[in-house]
Amino acid sequence: MRVTPEGLAVGAIGLCALALPLPFLGMTNYYVHLGMVIAIYSILLLGLDIVVGYTGEVSLGHAALFGIGAYTAGVLLFQLKLGLWFALPAAMAVTALFGLLLALPALKVTGPYLAMVTLAFGTIVQILINEMTPLTNGPMGIKLNRPLLLGYLPKDREYYFLVLLFLGLSILVVNRILRSGYGRAFQALRDAPIASDCMGVSVWLYKVYAFVISAAMAGLAGTLFAYSEQYISPNTYSFELTILFLLAVTMGGRKSRLGVILGASIVVLLPNYLADIELVRLIAALIGMGALMVAGIQWHKAGPRALAPIAVPLILCLSAWPITLSLASVTDYKLTIFGLMILFVVFYLPEGLIGRIREILAPLTPAAPDIARPPAQMFTAEGPRGAKGEVVLNASSIKMYFGGLRALDGVSLSVKRGEIHGLIGPNGSGKSTLMNVLSGLYRPTGGEINLGNVRIDGHAPPEIALRGIARTFQNVQLFGEMTATENVLVALNHRLRGNLLDIILATPRYRRSENDARARAFGLLDFVGLGDVADEKARNLPYGKCRLLEIARALALDPQLLLLDEPAAGLSQPDIELLIDIVRRIRDLGVTIVLIEHHMDVVMSMCDTVTVLDFGQVIAEGTPQAVRADPRVIEAYLGVAG
Amino acid sequence: MDVFIQLAVSGISVGMIYATIAFGYQLTFATSRTLNFGQGEALMLGAVVGLSLVPILGYWAMLPLVMIFGLFQGVVVERLGVARAVAQKSEFGWVMSTIALGVIFKNVAENIWGRDDLKFPSPLPEAPIVIGGAHILPMEFLILAGALAMMLAVELFNRRTIWGKAVVATANDSDAAGLMGINTPQIVTLSYAISSMTAAFAGVLIAPVTLTGATMGSALGLKAFAVAIIGGLTSGLGVIVGGILLGISEKMTGFYVATGYADVPGLVLLLLVLAIRPDGLFGKRAIKKV
Repeated sequence: MRVTPEGLAVGAIGLCALALPLPFLGMTNYYVHLGMVIAIYSILLLGLDIVVGYTGEVSLGHAALFGIGAYTAGVLLFQLKLGLWFALPAAMAVTALFGLLLALPALKVTGPYLAMVTLAFGTIVQILINEMTPLTNGPMGIKLNRPLLLGYLPKDREYYFLVLLFLGLSILVVNRILRSGYGRAFQALRDAPIASDCMGVSVWLYKVYAFVISAAMAGLAGTLFAYSEQYISPNTYSFELTILFLLAVTMGGRKSRLGVILGASIVVLLPNYLADIELVRLIAALIGMGALMVAGIQWHKAGPRALAPIAVPLILCLSAWPITLSLASVTDYKLTIFGLMILFVVFYLPEGLIGRIREILAPLTPAAPDIARPPAQMFTAEGPRGAKGEVVLNASSIKMYFGGLRALDGVSLSVKRGEIHGLIGPNGSGKSTLMNVLSGLYRPTGGEINLGNVRIDGHAPPEIALRGIARTFQNVQLFGEMTATENVLVALNHRLRGNLLDIILATPRYRRSENDARARAFGLLDFVGLGDVADEKARNLPYGKCRLLEIARALALDPQLLLLDEPAAGLSQPDIELLIDIVRRIRDLGVTIVLIEHHMDVVMSMCDTVTVLDFGQVIAEGTPQAVRADPRVIEAYLGVAG
Repeated sequence: MDVFIQLAVSGISVGMIYATIAFGYQLTFATSRTLNFGQGEALMLGAVVGLSLVPILGYWAMLPLVMIFGLFQGVVVERLGVARAVAQKSEFGWVMSTIALGVIFKNVAENIWGRDDLKFPSPLPEAPIVIGGAHILPMEFLILAGALAMMLAVELFNRRTIWGKAVVATANDSDAAGLMGINTPQIVTLSYAISSMTAAFAGVLIAPVTLTGATMGSALGLKAFAVAIIGGLTSGLGVIVGGILLGISEKMTGFYVATGYADVPGLVLLLLVLAIRPDGLFGKRAIKKV
């Protein structure tokens, strides 16, 4: 089952609606305040989820962004006497700027390095807030008074509604962004960064977008928090808070609005429950009993050997109860408990609570396509098409050296429009290197590449992709977690019209282009014969269909030149025939093709011209027949007799 | 000028501590492409365990025990946090689990040794030696010598022993090493053990000149990461140069700007190096394969 974003939005808004009457149901101010903190954390976590859940980067800097938001509000009031309504946009702008700053290193680094960058950023921010006393009042903190709302001083209850309103709006906005081309780009760059660059979706640019949006939401949350607590001090925005946020996102469930709210509730409420030692002991006992049951079931099913891999968590769970019995209070061990929860979630609940619930519910609910499917648009290649036979790609004396290795040593290649141009050669002859140079993944050591009249060497892969060179990959690089349709839609991002504001407001201009893109995506899937698996996740597709999906995705760029890197590798004979048919039909649409292939029958039967590489140099070029008879080619493949 | 020399010497000694911890980052990165985000906590644990042992054993006899403790702690981190994530090829997994383990170690240490910083008894006289007008603590020389000795010992282990050669082989090509009969998961565990051991050793080296406590590790770990990045995760010389560079710039900032800002140059340097030359000043550039 796919829980649709719409469905989740409805659920989340419903949750808000349920929360609304809380203050009236005899809830004490204490609980209203907790509710407020949950809602504020949820706003921040919605943003954090974009970075952690969607782009897959670990941010340890969100507590700092939260702090910057709070301090923007604090400083504006403290220094300039500007209140909440000035602070909200100002804080979002300031944190967005810091988000941009934080994302800049993402140009070069990802993963753990980026995590360390965000950690360093968080540490610096905390130091600066502490030290820049004239601006921030240093460790003393800043006291804020709530502003008048409609001429009335809001108490916790009224302020709670205001926060809920912002939470509802945030959910709406985040949902719209994640459903748009932006959301697809975020997921794509996580699944296959190189492929998304080559589909015109710049990994770096979209990471910057993700960080900026995420940071702006942290700023919004920070300001709301400053006015909810009415006092801010630097030590709140510490590494521990960052850990809390990460726990909330991973525990609740990544890529889920509902999961985020659930996670926020857990991390806010848990410390309160930890204060009640009797309750903690009870829970620890229950955990121990649960662990015993799991162990018993495993033993019964697979014998004592099955216990070895789960020995460590088992011992931990079983020792929880005796440990709580020996302690008078566990509040001091709050962080240990959070740490253990992170470990548990990371290894045993990787999709979070919501992910687990979805899995359990999956058999009970029928699958439904997320959005009404527009009729497929018959695929035709668009974009500028010149006369057949003119030179579309001209690469002259390309050199690509890796240290002392000369992978390409003065290769010249001239591809005529409308042709299928074969590129063959023994293993290690430089075919794939040439592909990578043409698509911009490698910057050539020397030489010049022209597409039509435009020089393209030295440009980044996304730019080259948008200028008209699309490619597939030798080892399939699809966006595994996305459906076939979404895979194609990522490469159709260039057809979407409208900016972030259009998306947030869902303007007709944006919706029209989104619908057109969908229609075109279905047309492309039909073109390669994948219409019936449009809603299937790419990682569930059989190998042959993966190859075809890669071709459909590349075609979505409306390329002038399509680079196919061993498309027939690993395919069965019927699949190869299907492939040949599709490649011919692509050529008939006016798309020029460069084909790397080891299946000689495929090359010989389809190609108009064949270029043969060996040791990084062109050793022959001509019609398939001429090349096949060339003694140097025979020598390269078979060696010399005697 | 005297002040300058004094700052330089104490900068070098703290820089060598960074280098030692950074060296630990390199060890685990080499064998498993993972980093222990709780490396600073490994150092802190070494220091506080050492603090508890010193009254019983004295400083010198405590050293081997702390190192054994470090080995053991590294094994725990790897088995509990990293091994499974590496098996699942989950980068998110090991990043989160080593962070979580670090948080747990810190919190437990807070509960055992308290939240306040403690004084670690110095094995050497605490009166500074005056050399050319600069006041230098004898302990600072010990730090320098100890850190170098530790790195040298690990290098020798890697080059001369069969286990060390297995570590090097795994670092070069884990798959090939596995096919040659090397138990690579075990080697990864070993690298974590050695890595934590060097950190624990660094902890008891630096403890006498700083304050000792549960919170001492985080900043050191982060700055040592900066050093590992600045020097390059593949260059042994790089971390020494990077460590000294950072140590001195930090002491200078602390003295000439303000003590509160002492941590800033290292972190800014980290951000700059990552933004401009992520392979570090001495690291080898990697070619990305498609």
